[in-house]
Amino acid sequence: MTLTQKRMILLLAVMVIAFILGRLAMRAFMNFLLGGTLFGGNFL
Amino acid sequence: MWAFLYIGAFLVSFGIGIASKMMPRPWAKDFTVDWDDSVGVMYRDISYGSADSNTFDLYVPADNSKETYGLVVYLHAGGFTSGDKTDDTEMLQWLCSKGYVTAGINYTLRDESHPETSVSSQSMEIKESMPAVIAEAEKLGYSIDEMTISGGSAGHCLAMLYAYRDADTSPVPVRMVFGAVGPSSFYPEDWGCYGFDQNTAESKEAAAGLFGVMAGKEITADMLGTPAYDEAMKDISALLWVDDDTVPSLMAYGKYDKVQGFGASVRLDEALTAHNVPHDYIVLEHSGHGLQNDDKEARLYSQKIEEYLDRYMPVK
Repeated sequence: MTLTQKRMILLLAVMVIAFILGRLAMRAFMNFLLGGTLFGGNFL
Repeated sequence: MWAFLYIGAFLVSFGIGIASKMMPRPWAKDFTVDWDDSVGVMYRDISYGSADSNTFDLYVPADNSKETYGLVVYLHAGGFTSGDKTDDTEMLQWLCSKGYVTAGINYTLRDESHPETSVSSQSMEIKESMPAVIAEAEKLGYSIDEMTISGGSAGHCLAMLYAYRDADTSPVPVRMVFGAVGPSSFYPEDWGCYGFDQNTAESKEAAAGLFGVMAGKEITADMLGTPAYDEAMKDISALLWVDDDTVPSLMAYGKYDKVQGFGASVRLDEALTAHNVPHDYIVLEHSGHGLQNDDKEARLYSQKIEEYLDRYMPVK
């Protein structure tokens, strides 16, 4: 595996994690306003 | 360069994640309709009373060939202080597309211009609006012979009051009520979301203050827990009107509601069960006032609306 391939895989991982964190952050914000749990239910 | 790329990708993906959470749920399209003249016609801002906000929107189906129609009223949310009938346009259009005459009704909101407004006075406006809504439908050639009332949050509270308290005086029979996250009673122990369950002098004062404003009456901390309190709050407590004749009820609540007391809905469920009233009580175990974290149950609630209408007020 070349260095560029490794970097691309890492980039993909960063994007997936950031996407999930974005959804979680929004859920946390909505929970702050309206109530709700951070986990459980439709997690994503 | 790669470091900047990682940071940029993180920020963009984070933003997309936030935006994706704000998108409507994919299944929600099953409960909307592409509205045009082939579906129905909307009539905006018809007056029913003397106040500026005493207006309603009426949606009538394109098929005007039936002898009689069922009316579905949906009352808007907004904590009794904000919101508008146009907030529920999609819902009203969808219900109209099923063959009902539908109406969204505005009521006077409690604000700086209307400090005397209470849940009690708002519920009376809704009661007074109904003959005008039905008369307007008649004028357009749609004879109404039965109705359902519904709403979200504050609108659900007002809908339950009409269905449980005022159904006897309704111009047409009320067949059922449905709604989400509407307060149905005002016992401080149920309202932990505001700390009213702490049973301290301060919490009692705060509860008496808020609930007094909502009822439009002087409520003192001493009254809490006494029959006098129930009597004073009865006008705005749908729970206290539940009896064996109460109409079928569909309701959905979020267990972690921070806006209204979830415990009140437990009490309502128990009362409806005790009086053998057909009802469905959908609890969203991970959600708050927005029913935002439990898609499966939120979808079930929408499906149940159709099921209830088909059962208790089928289109002729």
